Amino acid sequence: MLKLRHIYHRYGDQLLLQDVSLQVQAGEIVALLGPSGSGKSTLLAIAAGLQRPDAGSVWFDGVDISAVPPERRGFALMFQDFALFPHLNVLDNVAFGLIEQRLAKKEARAQAIHMLEVFGLTALALRKVWNLSGGEQQRVALARALITHPHVLLLDEPFSALDADLRVALRDEFRSRIREAGMATLLVTHDATEASAMADRAVRLVAGQLVPDCNGAAG
Amino acid sequence: MAAVTPLNLPRSFWLALLPAAALLLLLLAPLARLGFAGFSGEFNALSDLSVWQPWQDDYLRWRVLWSVAQAAITCVLAFVLGLPLAWVLARYEFAGRALVLRLLMLPFVVPTLVAALGVLALWGPRGLISGALGINLQDTPWLLLYGNLFFNLCLVVRAGVDALGQVNARQVAAARSLGATPWRAFWRIEWPAIAPWLMSSLCLVFLYCFAGFGLALVLGGQRFATVEVEIYSLVAYELQLGQASVLALWMLLLTGAVALGYAALEKRLGAPARTAPMARVHPHAARQWLAVAGALAVLVVVCALPIFAIFIKAAYALWAGASGIFDAEALAALWNTLRFSAVALVAATLLGVLHAFAAQASVVWRALAFLPFVVSPVTVAFGLLLLYPSWTASLPLLLAAYAVLAYPFVAKALSAGLDGLPAHLTQAARTLGASPWRCFWRVTLPLLAPALRRGMAFAAATALGEFAVTLFLSRPEWATLTTLIYQRLGRPGQANLDAAMVLACVLMALALLAFLLIEWPVRERAAVGNDGHRSRVGSGMTMSH
Repeated sequence: MLKLRHIYHRYGDQLLLQDVSLQVQAGEIVALLGPSGSGKSTLLAIAAGLQRPDAGSVWFDGVDISAVPPERRGFALMFQDFALFPHLNVLDNVAFGLIEQRLAKKEARAQAIHMLEVFGLTALALRKVWNLSGGEQQRVALARALITHPHVLLLDEPFSALDADLRVALRDEFRSRIREAGMATLLVTHDATEASAMADRAVRLVAGQLVPDCNGAAG
Repeated sequence: MAAVTPLNLPRSFWLALLPAAALLLLLLAPLARLGFAGFSGEFNALSDLSVWQPWQDDYLRWRVLWSVAQAAITCVLAFVLGLPLAWVLARYEFAGRALVLRLLMLPFVVPTLVAALGVLALWGPRGLISGALGINLQDTPWLLLYGNLFFNLCLVVRAGVDALGQVNARQVAAARSLGATPWRAFWRIEWPAIAPWLMSSLCLVFLYCFAGFGLALVLGGQRFATVEVEIYSLVAYELQLGQASVLALWMLLLTGAVALGYAALEKRLGAPARTAPMARVHPHAARQWLAVAGALAVLVVVCALPIFAIFIKAAYALWAGASGIFDAEALAALWNTLRFSAVALVAATLLGVLHAFAAQASVVWRALAFLPFVVSPVTVAFGLLLLYPSWTASLPLLLAAYAVLAYPFVAKALSAGLDGLPAHLTQAARTLGASPWRCFWRVTLPLLAPALRRGMAFAAATALGEFAVTLFLSRPEWATLTTLIYQRLGRPGQANLDAAMVLACVLMALALLAFLLIEWPVRERAAVGNDGHRSRVGSGMTMSH
């Protein structure tokens, strides 16, 4: 279970996050709603360990991991621009995390090929990532994030760069894949429809504080 | 997100330590020493020399005014020729256009002395053109102006092409639909958008011409040499340190003023915005083809002919059986050039990488990378002579000076690369389990490799062509190709001129190697780097005058 406890964070003069506390159970998808600039992405970066909060702590399964660097948290973060590595092909992008776990390159690639099969991306394995369509890039990014079996999946506006039809199709696909993997998932979005379609419950960041979102909650 | 080290100092402080020390000891301190000498008149005990002497003495005043005038005339010529050329290259699509744009980088790596010899091979005594036409341009200002244009036309054209590429097509379309003719649309929409970029490149042109040394020394002759040449002859031949330091002080003040103007202009130029660039048209009317042909002809005459002329002269000299060109002296010079450049390249790369990473956090620090570009090598060398009299003719000092003059190329190219590197990529790598060091090794470094290679190639070209500092600080046995070429030029007889041409050819071949490293076509990387992050490496780069 991922727990954010009493997080405070300041950006310049503005108090971006003010006593924010949030829990996400394993297997649960929680949507974090709010207008742009409200601090959603900052909260996600704090959970991932990419940013230190001014005050507050991050816990996972009862352990305070506030001081653990991002690479040792085992959390996967997906960005809205996908952040695929342009110098690596699709296969090596997917295998990246396994190689960081000190797996031999051959073994890492074999696992990555298996992952690509699951995602229906086998034909793209040796393509350069910038030749892919938006939807394909998105799938590769998810495959790259899931291959290391992360404890927590953090999604930062994952569908905002896609067109409307694709967004709906991928939303369903992502939801079922995340369910299969059974991770605690925090989804940042500014789109209430997306939140209700994907998440078990939704919270809204208003003036630096979290409030439950009545509209976004779904089953 | 300032990374903090145990001693509670930001990481950029430690990164900046070595480059800061190099800049301070090898650039700022010598300049301060020189300024002090000029101002205090410490070498003037025997004469009644004053700080105002360059303006009171007819001869010196002519030197200063001519230095300003030749730089200003070059600016006007480069602008008048460069703007139409840039427009043609930016707006017309024709076979070979990409190649022409690549070749525009060539003068950036051509050593000054090679360029000077190229001009001589064309227009000098028994030059290819002057000989055929039977004219003599010795002791006219034209040789120097031609040489200046050889280097600086390409700079203005590249800056112009880059700037025109950032003109927003939708704005031009809006102006056209509001009733503006193409010509009016150019003056009312395109010109205001590109003018600041062009002005900034003209500032650089002025600085390079004003502070240039090699061209003025070889091409200026008795009458049309510049202040830099005067300083050199006062120090090296007449031992008039007092007069030289007063002149150098004035040079510092004048270049400082122009450099400040340049910095102010640069600051106003924002990062290139993402715009819809103007579509290039295929020329179809005869008039348009004429424009393309005219543009290419100007480029060939100004920028390509001098290089061809050297090759022709050298080939002719070799064919005519010039023996003894590759004597022990020449081989030693070649060896010196290669080993000095190699050492300088290693040091410059280290300094440049540190500087670039430190500069991510600081605007001032980023601006400091320009310093070695804008101070003239002659003033630096003279300052080093005054500051470290016991170390003159010491190899470490010479090599350190090489490195300091070359490293900004690495720093600038890497800084541009780092700016173009999306933060998300490194963050993604971190969340996928890569430690900071692994992240640098597996993501940052491979993505920056093209920028690093580019910067290192420029640094190598600078070191290969270094002339002024070598002339001041070197010992006879450390002669490099450039100083040897200059020696040969100074000796009488056709054989020595032939030898100079052949040596220039060898130096040119080395510079070409650097050029190939810079402009060797790499597979375009659409996702990052080239997308919207146009590196302004071309417009900000310089050569070692």
